[in-house]
Amino acid sequence: MDSWLHPALVYFLGSLLLPFFQGKARQVLALMIPLFSIFLVANMPEGVYGQVQFLGLELTFGRVDKLSLVFAWVFVIMALLGTIYGLHVKESGHVLAGNFYVGSSLGALFAGDYLTLFLFWEIMAFSSVFLIWYRRTPAAIDAGFRYLLVHVFGGLCLFTGILLIYFKTGNLEFTALLPTQAGLAEYLILAGFALNAAVLPLHAWLPDAYPEATVEGAVLLCAFTTKTAVYVLARGFSGFEILAVMGVAMTIFGVIYAVIENDMRRVLAYHIISQVGYMVAGIGIGTHLAVNGAAAHAFAHILYKALLFMGAGAVLYMTGTAKLSQLGGLWRYMPLTMLGYVVGAVSISGFPLFSGFVSKSMIVAAAHQEGRLYLMALMQLAAIGTFLSVGLKVTYFAFFGKESAIVAKEPPKNMLWAMGLTGALCFILGVYPDPLYALLPFAVEYRPYTLHHLSEAFQLLTMTGLVFYLLVKKLAPEVKINLDVDYFYRQGAKYFVRLDEGVIAPADSRWGDVWKAVGLRLLFWKAALAVKFDQEAIDGIVDGTAATAMRISAGVRKLQTGQIQTYIGLSLMIFFLVLWFLVV
Amino acid sequence: MGIVKYIELLRKNPQTMKRVFIAWIIFVLLFDIVQSRAEAHFIIDKIYIFWSIFGALGCFLLIKAAKGLAHLILGKDEGYYG
Repeated sequence: MDSWLHPALVYFLGSLLLPFFQGKARQVLALMIPLFSIFLVANMPEGVYGQVQFLGLELTFGRVDKLSLVFAWVFVIMALLGTIYGLHVKESGHVLAGNFYVGSSLGALFAGDYLTLFLFWEIMAFSSVFLIWYRRTPAAIDAGFRYLLVHVFGGLCLFTGILLIYFKTGNLEFTALLPTQAGLAEYLILAGFALNAAVLPLHAWLPDAYPEATVEGAVLLCAFTTKTAVYVLARGFSGFEILAVMGVAMTIFGVIYAVIENDMRRVLAYHIISQVGYMVAGIGIGTHLAVNGAAAHAFAHILYKALLFMGAGAVLYMTGTAKLSQLGGLWRYMPLTMLGYVVGAVSISGFPLFSGFVSKSMIVAAAHQEGRLYLMALMQLAAIGTFLSVGLKVTYFAFFGKESAIVAKEPPKNMLWAMGLTGALCFILGVYPDPLYALLPFAVEYRPYTLHHLSEAFQLLTMTGLVFYLLVKKLAPEVKINLDVDYFYRQGAKYFVRLDEGVIAPADSRWGDVWKAVGLRLLFWKAALAVKFDQEAIDGIVDGTAATAMRISAGVRKLQTGQIQTYIGLSLMIFFLVLWFLVV
Repeated sequence: MGIVKYIELLRKNPQTMKRVFIAWIIFVLLFDIVQSRAEAHFIIDKIYIFWSIFGALGCFLLIKAAKGLAHLILGKDEGYYG
């Protein structure tokens, strides 16, 4: 098909039109962009499109297969829901950044070679940072710069890997890599991807930046960066054992922080690490069921995590804070927001009838099938932590718990609509997962609703509820922040500045003084010696030409007084002298 | 608003909620004992109410570990980074 239109173009060009419209017209256009891209993805046959020759390289902009399509589906659906949620946003730049971000992640999905992937990868980083900066608080500006610097570092790892691959193989095609053949180049690319997937210890940018983003921006941020990374990992690094181990570590790490964090959106951000951990682990396990599970979980996760961020964002938008220590009793004022959040919370916790149940269990089942019982047990432990932190702790302390002084209203209608639609999708996927399963990359028979699996979910969730009920006082939010590995570059930068001001700069200026006192004097002395040697020894031995020339030029220099009458007088004298010679 | 009234009703009857929860716990434990174990491959699949014990212990340990870490090293005042 020659008429293949890249969905990324719809976002790029469409968003450039946005600033020319106002009010309702702009809202309609903003909705048309994701709607049209859904239409494009729905009618996109598998195949390879958009191949371009560039500097002797073949770039592929449109590799459409089952793996890229399942992610594309959820990306365009999420873009629509995110647009509805952010319809009230007036700043064109904010909407434009969001659209460029979504468009570039679609570009990365369909990229068939490393160079195209890298191009969109970088547009993603540089457009998404504006979703943080548009919050316009000093904390957001700082977090945005850190976010950007970390992503530039990840991009450089990726680019170095790409160059090494090119010098090794002579082409840039992005295909599945084998763990046995992976060398430095492959692991650099893996590091670049892993940074965006928030794999430990390259994860700290995520809980640092997302809670500082705008209310509407965070809903988009939580969906695209990490899931694009999950997609490229699934495409290139399926079966890498390190991912299975690191993924499971992420699931536990994320929930531990989610249990102790105070800011609602930071709880959710840490919890992204935990959830992406399941996907990374699935990719690491690498069987068809596991990779299917990773893709299905990415699909389900994007929707319910966005729903949770919508709920937390609505609370922040209406009350001005997302800190659990300041919130409480919101059920009375924001019941619909609470309902939306709770649907997201039960979905993420894997309640039967909701989407988490049908997706997360695929990865756990794959670990079980492969006999990886430790991985399975740890993932189940993380599932407990999920319900405990995102499900029970946040719901209880924000919407119930002690009555706070905060009296709030429901958020604008568009936000409620977005939450309602997203919640409905979470429920529909949970009850009727077949359309999602049909989209998955491999044909694998999987049935989530077995008595065994139901019993497992009932037991884990019920006992978590019971322990929460007994220990709820212990879980009361504390007005604290928690250190993470960003400590090393945040505090490290401070120490570096202190080291620079206290040691390096004074040492440098002391060295300057020493140089002036000793070094320069020595240098002049040496230079004078060299000149003397040159003039008297070398020139004397040769023929004295240099000394003669210098004597003549010293004489001539005396004539150059800089006064015009002297020059005119001299010229006339020479003129008459020449005339006298000619005549006589 | 319907939801608010419904929640108010539930909050007025904590004893009933407690009883329902206890009944639910008993149901869950019984459900695991009677459900088919045709899919059991490993030892953990064969132990009755394994996931209940795992869930309760796991949740308890997770809270202890997380709070312990927070109080020991991780937790800092909000202005820590300045």
